[in-house]
Amino acid sequence: MKRTMLVLSVLLVLSMLLSACGNTATTAPVATTEAAAATEAVVTEAPAATEVMAGDTVLPRNETLYFNGQQWGAVVCWNPYSSNCNNAMAIAQQDNARVTMFETPYIYNMMDGKVYPLLADGPYTWNDAKTELTFKINAAAHWSDGTPVTAEDVAYTWATHVKYNDSTGAANKDYIEDIVAADASTVVIKAKLGEDGKALNPLLVQAYVSSNYVNQKAWTQTLEARANGDAAAFLADTAEDVVYSGPYHKFFADDTKVVLIRDDNYWGADASMWGKLPAPKYLAHIIYKDNAAGTTALQAGEVDVSQQFNSNVQDLWLKDNLPISTYLSEAPYGIGASLPTAFFNMGSYGLDNVVIRKAIAIAVDYDTIIANAMTNQSATFTQVPRSLMNPTPGEQALFDHDAVKDLQWAGNDIEGANAMLDEAGIKDTDGDGWREYNGKKLTYVATCPNGWSDWQAAIEVVAAAGAKIGIDITTNYPEWSVYQTVVTNWPLPETGYDIFMMWSDGAGPTQPWSRIRHLISGEFAKTTNNWNGNWGGYSNPEADALIKAIPTMTDEAALKDAYTKLVKIYLTDVPSFTLMYRPQAFHTVNESVWTNFPHEGDGTDPAVPPLDLTDGYSIAGLYNLTLVNP
Amino acid sequence: MKGYRKYFLNKLVWLFVTAVFAFLLNFILPRLMPGDPVAAITARIAQGMSNSTGMKETYEQYQRSFGLDKPMLTQFALYIKNVFSGNFGTSFSQFPRPVSDILSSSIWWTICLQFPAIIIGWLIGNTLGALAAYLKKGFDKVIMPISIFVSNFPAFGMAVILMVIFGVKLRWFPTSGGYGFDLIPDFSWKFIWSVIVHYQLPFWSIVIIAIGGQAIGMRSMSIYELNADYVKYSRFMGIKDNKIVGYVFRNAMLPQITGLALSIGTMVGGALIAEIVFSYPGLGYTLLNAVMGQDYPLISAVTLIITLMVLIANFAIEMIYGLIDPRIKAAQSD
Amino acid sequence: MKNTLNQVFHSGKFVVGFCIFMALLAMVIFYPLFVPDDPLESIGKGTFFPPGTYVNIYDSINATTKYSINLDDATEKRIASKLTEENKKDMKTWLIMDGIPADQIDTSDISSLLKLWENEYSKSKTLGMTYAKQRYYQRLNASVQGLLSKEGLTVMQVDDSTGETNEIATIQQTDYVNVKQVANVRWFPLGTDNFGRDILTELVTAAGVSLQIGLVAGLIATFIGLTLGLISGYVGGWVDDVIMFITNLFTVIPSMVLLILISYSIGQDKRGAFTIATVIGLTSWVWTTRAVRSQVISLRNRDHVNLSKLSGHSTFNIIFSDILPYIMSYVIMALILQISSGILAEASLSILGLGPRTTDVPTLGLMMNWAMIYQAHVLGKWWAYLPVLVTIALITFSMNLMNTGLDQVFNPALRD
Repeated sequence: MKRTMLVLSVLLVLSMLLSACGNTATTAPVATTEAAAATEAVVTEAPAATEVMAGDTVLPRNETLYFNGQQWGAVVCWNPYSSNCNNAMAIAQQDNARVTMFETPYIYNMMDGKVYPLLADGPYTWNDAKTELTFKINAAAHWSDGTPVTAEDVAYTWATHVKYNDSTGAANKDYIEDIVAADASTVVIKAKLGEDGKALNPLLVQAYVSSNYVNQKAWTQTLEARANGDAAAFLADTAEDVVYSGPYHKFFADDTKVVLIRDDNYWGADASMWGKLPAPKYLAHIIYKDNAAGTTALQAGEVDVSQQFNSNVQDLWLKDNLPISTYLSEAPYGIGASLPTAFFNMGSYGLDNVVIRKAIAIAVDYDTIIANAMTNQSATFTQVPRSLMNPTPGEQALFDHDAVKDLQWAGNDIEGANAMLDEAGIKDTDGDGWREYNGKKLTYVATCPNGWSDWQAAIEVVAAAGAKIGIDITTNYPEWSVYQTVVTNWPLPETGYDIFMMWSDGAGPTQPWSRIRHLISGEFAKTTNNWNGNWGGYSNPEADALIKAIPTMTDEAALKDAYTKLVKIYLTDVPSFTLMYRPQAFHTVNESVWTNFPHEGDGTDPAVPPLDLTDGYSIAGLYNLTLVNP
Repeated sequence: MKGYRKYFLNKLVWLFVTAVFAFLLNFILPRLMPGDPVAAITARIAQGMSNSTGMKETYEQYQRSFGLDKPMLTQFALYIKNVFSGNFGTSFSQFPRPVSDILSSSIWWTICLQFPAIIIGWLIGNTLGALAAYLKKGFDKVIMPISIFVSNFPAFGMAVILMVIFGVKLRWFPTSGGYGFDLIPDFSWKFIWSVIVHYQLPFWSIVIIAIGGQAIGMRSMSIYELNADYVKYSRFMGIKDNKIVGYVFRNAMLPQITGLALSIGTMVGGALIAEIVFSYPGLGYTLLNAVMGQDYPLISAVTLIITLMVLIANFAIEMIYGLIDPRIKAAQSD
Repeated sequence: MKNTLNQVFHSGKFVVGFCIFMALLAMVIFYPLFVPDDPLESIGKGTFFPPGTYVNIYDSINATTKYSINLDDATEKRIASKLTEENKKDMKTWLIMDGIPADQIDTSDISSLLKLWENEYSKSKTLGMTYAKQRYYQRLNASVQGLLSKEGLTVMQVDDSTGETNEIATIQQTDYVNVKQVANVRWFPLGTDNFGRDILTELVTAAGVSLQIGLVAGLIATFIGLTLGLISGYVGGWVDDVIMFITNLFTVIPSMVLLILISYSIGQDKRGAFTIATVIGLTSWVWTTRAVRSQVISLRNRDHVNLSKLSGHSTFNIIFSDILPYIMSYVIMALILQISSGILAEASLSILGLGPRTTDVPTLGLMMNWAMIYQAHVLGKWWAYLPVLVTIALITFSMNLMNTGLDQVFNPALRD
């Protein structure tokens, strides 16, 4: 009896061991079912798209361009109407739209501020009254199923946006009256008019043609039939069968990677567009768990284009001698385009007093932020004095520098801050080391979301400045999901969100107007569910009037005057302050397999922006790539 | 066998009751977390919107479709009904991907990583511990301190050090991924070999620590047993050492089996660090992201699976225990 | 008692573990007395300065005494630091690509090599190289400018009032300063981290905080485990069943998951070091309970206990005076293990980003976390994470050695 028991238990252990061994081998077939499962991920039953081609299970290294830093987590869908696909390689409708799979009529080039035609044929034109914008569709443009791209597609796409009130529709329906097809190849966009008969906002109308995709009417109708008129189902469809016009489409997607493959019938090879096909056959993105894994892969040459924030990126070529480079060879290594900003909560005690706000803002040591948090990947405020504009020459030329010189500060001005506070009578009356304002001690909490390391490091520096000027500032890092819910709803809590950090707009056709509007426009102040900006609740009627007037201004001198006035208001009232300059996208490349990436002085005309070869005009970079060892 | 039946029933009843409570806890715990997951989804969808009325509608729409506007009890009832039909719901953080899809793609990687690691660590560790106890002297003096050091080395430390030495510096093993970065999963030998190669570092970072822990435990138990009276008596009686040793180790192994059941419970959590450091696809990382994104359905589903696995493993081990250890039967008549 | 202590301190393993632990404790207590700097202060403007001695350049230029020393190999060392063997080979490669025949290039004769380089090199000659390689040669060219010159340097200062530049000093290649006479010299034995903080100072404070967290967590866990184990083991019956049931619940939901959930729910603002310690303590008492319970079960049928029962002592009295002393040795060992696992649990939580606030106190886990976020392990900045790992390992190792030593004392069978 005992012997049988022993034998049984040994057998049990052995069987566990065998099953464990067996598990490793079964990983392979399970993985294939995973792949199949991924393609069939269903909310609605959609037929599977391109199957993994038999025999092509190893991506040839010299036909594939590898990315990192764009895609975090698995791809959810391929639906261009949805803003929730988490599909970074294919879908991003923004100022610099991602045109790898879906295309916009025009693409924006942040280097010269102009838009270039993609699906369109030639530049767009306004009518004399500036109430209608017209452009033609390139005759050579066609969809992946062979049918040509027509103006009807553009019109129907707009109608769908409005009908289902997706993010594009909701964002633009207040400014665009309608989009119609004048004929098969001519599109007319009718702007919404104000009472004076003028377009409400021609800037945003113009921006529409370079930010939003054109989708095929026939496919959209198929999708509508599938969703049976239900908006939620329409937007949540995984769209495996989507029809596209771009050069790449889905090849493979699972939890560990996304691969796009080139369509050799891409219309853009026509002489009227690029004249050839883009160089890489595959665009692949391995899904890394965190930045460190991505950087290791970049070092090993497994990644060609990196959109990650690589701290101390210069060590990769200075110390490790790797063939890695950024757009600029010296600091700031990239072109600053957006302005991460620290907002003051206007409702907090004491922060309604401009002296206190300004004192804190001028006391912060920005050089430390840029050196430690951004590891010098930002221009300093000595190189590019602060304003509302980003460091690009285009925006910097839009305001009068001399007029605002006295209002600008470079930071770490402890003496100045202390003097300012003393003069205003905000002193330490009870000797505890902290200043009081009207009898109450000044104490604030500076905050940003937990886990956003460069922001956290920056907020630490802000808090440290407080101690030096006698204001008690401590830090706190709530989780992002909590942070966003609080910050976007006025009123902000009494404590915990006195100085909080949020982003600003980057480079785009409506900048810097859009950024200024989002930072200080009263239309967003003190609202709920506010994803636009001005979360601190600042309001200035003079600024609002200027912001409202700019989109319709045409006289350059008047525009410059308006922008200068806005910068003056911003630097005087200090409702928020810029902490650093940040590139539109980080762009680091490894030249072990591919070369001829965009870099400063590369001689391209128009200059190809460093936006990872996928956004806006940066897609031109894909056509210039060559192999190191052909 | 009569006393045995009582033992069996007793265990089964407690298994059931624990399962029910665990079920309840699984449902409640994630929902106690602060923050609003629907706002998170709305945020993602609303990026780029210029007005807020559309956002409010979207917010309410999602609340309705997730059933979050209903009272807690109704939600619980729905939850139970769905689970028993195999529908774990739709994930919040990866909306609209269904939870079962997320789970099926990541759970196999975790199990295949952890299960062999635990078993092999257990086997090698116990063998080493037993040998150390039996051979004493030199072997013991070397194994003992190494085991102590290794077993208490932090898991992330082991993972980071292995990665830096073997991945970054020596480049013997790849530093991330479940399989080659340029491969598409299929049935070929190349793919399977790639999986095995990528498997090594995460696997050894877990096994080495497990070995250390098991070795110490087994050594202590073995020493206890080796000094027991019956061993001395048998030796005096002239019974061969080999035969005695068989009995000794069988007795010493019993508490270790309980430990094995416990390890299975920590399987998912234990792989978390290795998954993050090595970018290995798996359940641990999915769970962490689910917590950060307050993804109730996903969290509940993962913790439910863990709970069920532990319960079943525990139950199975206790059954085996009952079979192997005759003292249990005797104690039942106590 | 005295005898036990005697035996304990004679146990080799215990003594070794004890010494390591005491050394760490001494470091934690005495170091801040000698180096009163704030551990969280950002000293360095820049990330991850390597360990070494940092000499202020401004002060060394302005040092009162300059010494002139003639060393034979000074020039050689100077050149070698700017132009390594690798660099020379690369120069040769470039020149060959440019069309110079290989036999005309001699890498051992530096002056002729540099002359050839100066003549031939031009930024515009791309020679079919990748952009990264072009930049490499640009940097190389910039660094070898004036390498062979024997001239000194002139230091100029801009006069604020007139805007002119005036010469204030010249530096010859043979000028040296005595480091002791330089006003500002700072030694960073372990370099700085990503915030620019001195790692050694931070490490010592962090070790202290982690020990405290471990102690609190361990005490709480042991206390709960002891109480529950005693009660369930001695009283038995349905009380035992209920407590075992609760224990099973806690086993079934893995402590890691529970820790993550609770830690996340508490939110950052309440996550002080003490709170984390309490949370860890409240989730890790399970195995102590089980172990104590099994010990108590084997004890409760002993003669002296039965005697007390017959004498009519209260349950509380019996537990306290008859059972507790017998398991004390076990409890102490459990406490030590709980402390070390508490420290590990805190480190794991911090790595996931769910640990105490960064600004309040540094802990070992937080230092590891930031090092990994800023990719120190990938970029080869070993001083940011290796000392932390070694410290954690030493703490847990020493505690476990002590534990093993105690085990051997209390269980003579286990002695070698």
